[in-house]
Amino acid sequence: MDTQSGRAKKAGSALGRLFGRQSFFLVAIILILAIAAGIINPKFFVLRNLLNILEQISVLGLVAAGATILIISGNFDISVGAMIGLSACVMAMLLKTGMNELLAALIGILVCVACSLLNGFLSIRLGAPSFIISLATIGVFHGAALAATEGVIQTIYEQFGAISNTNLFNVFPLMFVISILGFVFVHVILNNTRLGRRVFAIGANRKAAFLSGIGVKQNTLVFFALSGLLAGVATVVLLSRLGAALPTTGAGLELKAIGAVVIGGVPITGGTGNALGTFLGVLLIGVISNMLNLSRVNPYYQEIAYGALVVLSVAVSYLRINAGRKY
Amino acid sequence: MPGDKLLDLVEVSKEYSGTKVLDAVSFSLHAGEVHCLVGENGAGKSTLIKILSGAVQPNGGQIRLAGRVYSHLEPKDSLRLGIATIYQDIDLIETLSVADNIYLGDELRTPLGFVDRQRQIRTATQLLERLRIRVGAAVLVGELSPAQKQMIQLAKALHRESRIIIMDEPTSSLGHEEARALMELVGGVIAGGVVGIIYISHFLDEVFQIGDRITVLKDGRMVATHAKGEVDPSQVIREMVGREASLFYNREKVRIGEPALQVSHFSRAGAVKDVSFEVREGEIFGIGGLVGSGRTELANLLFGADPADGGRLYLHGQDITAGSPHRAIANGISMIAENRQEDGLFLIRPVKENMVVLHTEKAGPLVGRKRENALVRGMVKRFGIVASPSQEARELSGGNQQKVIMSRWLLSEARVFIFDEPTKGIDIGAKQEIYRFMTELAGSGKLIIMISSDMPELLSMSDRIGVMRNGEMVKVIDAQGVSEAELLEMFLGIAAA
Repeated sequence: MDTQSGRAKKAGSALGRLFGRQSFFLVAIILILAIAAGIINPKFFVLRNLLNILEQISVLGLVAAGATILIISGNFDISVGAMIGLSACVMAMLLKTGMNELLAALIGILVCVACSLLNGFLSIRLGAPSFIISLATIGVFHGAALAATEGVIQTIYEQFGAISNTNLFNVFPLMFVISILGFVFVHVILNNTRLGRRVFAIGANRKAAFLSGIGVKQNTLVFFALSGLLAGVATVVLLSRLGAALPTTGAGLELKAIGAVVIGGVPITGGTGNALGTFLGVLLIGVISNMLNLSRVNPYYQEIAYGALVVLSVAVSYLRINAGRKY
Repeated sequence: MPGDKLLDLVEVSKEYSGTKVLDAVSFSLHAGEVHCLVGENGAGKSTLIKILSGAVQPNGGQIRLAGRVYSHLEPKDSLRLGIATIYQDIDLIETLSVADNIYLGDELRTPLGFVDRQRQIRTATQLLERLRIRVGAAVLVGELSPAQKQMIQLAKALHRESRIIIMDEPTSSLGHEEARALMELVGGVIAGGVVGIIYISHFLDEVFQIGDRITVLKDGRMVATHAKGEVDPSQVIREMVGREASLFYNREKVRIGEPALQVSHFSRAGAVKDVSFEVREGEIFGIGGLVGSGRTELANLLFGADPADGGRLYLHGQDITAGSPHRAIANGISMIAENRQEDGLFLIRPVKENMVVLHTEKAGPLVGRKRENALVRGMVKRFGIVASPSQEARELSGGNQQKVIMSRWLLSEARVFIFDEPTKGIDIGAKQEIYRFMTELAGSGKLIIMISSDMPELLSMSDRIGVMRNGEMVKVIDAQGVSEAELLEMFLGIAAA
């Protein structure tokens, strides 16, 4: 590109940046859908329903916030669902032995961090894509959960209930507040810390990051640990909501989370993106599934709608990138 | 005796944003001849090949081929018209057999539509025997040597009934014996009188051995076409390098001080052999040599990017040898890498982040935006960078991208600067600014090593030049008063300068 178009770009950049961002479109789509939902079914705008949406997206939000860091850095962890299942079972079993709630939660979170670190470590050590490694560890984590529980549902009765029953100022579900804190945490890391800069640098160009003195391997492990941490917090919230754990608890969350990150504007190849986009992606998924619920659409079709949504958002970002390519 | 004319390029030109890389070049090829194309890096050889393979579309001129006149070729046309290009980086599929590769895309089939492997292997074996290529047709290509792969590509091209075969530096990664075997094969193919070969090589002895005609390109223009026997290597070298003085940068010389940086016995198996030299204060130490002579590999060792088998680096007597880029940067060593886009820039990140990455690494766990913005503004002004700090690096011109990278290293407060091809792909204006910057650095007591394939640049910017050949630094010369021809002879290792 020559310098002249560089200058032209500069002039149009303020407006371009606003409209060029996926966030802008997402807000618009969410608003349009919400208005449409309200017209079709006035129940949509009832406060209870709106708070319901926020509650429903809390767990996905935490998982997706962690996935945002990983995907921007060029990594994937698709074993998150299985690791949540394992961690939930471990926590439930500990609680059943009468362990202190806080301690059990802490151990549950550590289980997720350890699982996530295992993925990161194997991927780095073997020089294999983390996508493949985590595909393999799904079986490991799921199997471990099955072995520990022998497939029996682990009911924790009223324990952990405080998280899902508490509303701040009698309105905001505590779960949602925790989820928002997760997003704020990721946002601050990405925007205000050296670690965040490393996430972008490694995701945008690993080799250049290495030649800039960034420890690519060590930092990648840190990214995995952060993703595990958020998955662990998500597990605590999820267990509190469900009141029981099964090895299959959390299954499928990883794909929804990756979908939300992609909808939020992070390219699958990483290198760019932000926490706000992912939050909007999660919110969009929440609004759509709530709409379909209110309209009493068969839940099976909801899955189809969700898949179509991901395809659509991928189309939006990639058709532009690949315009004019013949192969 | 030339056969029918296979190809006629008439005054073909190509320019990129105002820079002419090919200027009205005419070139022809007959059946049964090897037409060699020689010239320095950047003379336009690659562009000419890409025009024939359809990868690049010329801005002007005609391509006369198979009785028709084309303004440009598409890759599909090029294949259909019987043009086959054998590139340096071999494009065979390593996990398929030789026969499968030869028949790739037009497989022989059984009546049921399955691939008829037996018949493919049988016919491929016949083809290989006819060409006297001693490679089994059922062997996986991945198991072949580089020379054998080149031969298979040639066989594939002949199987496709290509009549115009382009070979781009076929022997650059081959040993002496292998190269000779390949040249014999080329001779055998040509003797058939059906095919014409365009042969591009840095190695003039090869060119004189197999070429029927030799065309010299220089700075995108055709200097001359010689028939075999009408010319000697020293004249060709003169034609390759002879250049107007205006291309030489007239730099201010800095007072040269004491030796300060000592490069001591660096080696890496297969790439660099026991290289030692000193850089003095105020000096720009140039490193020259042909592609593949180990220059970039040496830079990577000094910077700790590749593991060295041995070697120490001393600055003012202090050991600053680095085992990793991280250590190198901490020790004040910088490297402006050859491939800006692959090894330097974070293309999809803003200019600002690209500039401050090393500063951020040094500054602490939290990002200080105010300080960063001030630094970035300073650099944008200092280098006259035409871009906004929030623009993605990929949108910048080559010159501005290079300035962003130089800003990065300046902000890291490095003391040793290794420039690898600092002005590759950069327009003349930006080049001058980069030269001025390098001179300034030298004047301010930084130690500078500059690798360059651009002869005028190497001669006019360097105080001394280390000549590399086959991984060794064969000699260190004073840049003053050396001609391009003399330097090229040293690179090639022919004659005594």
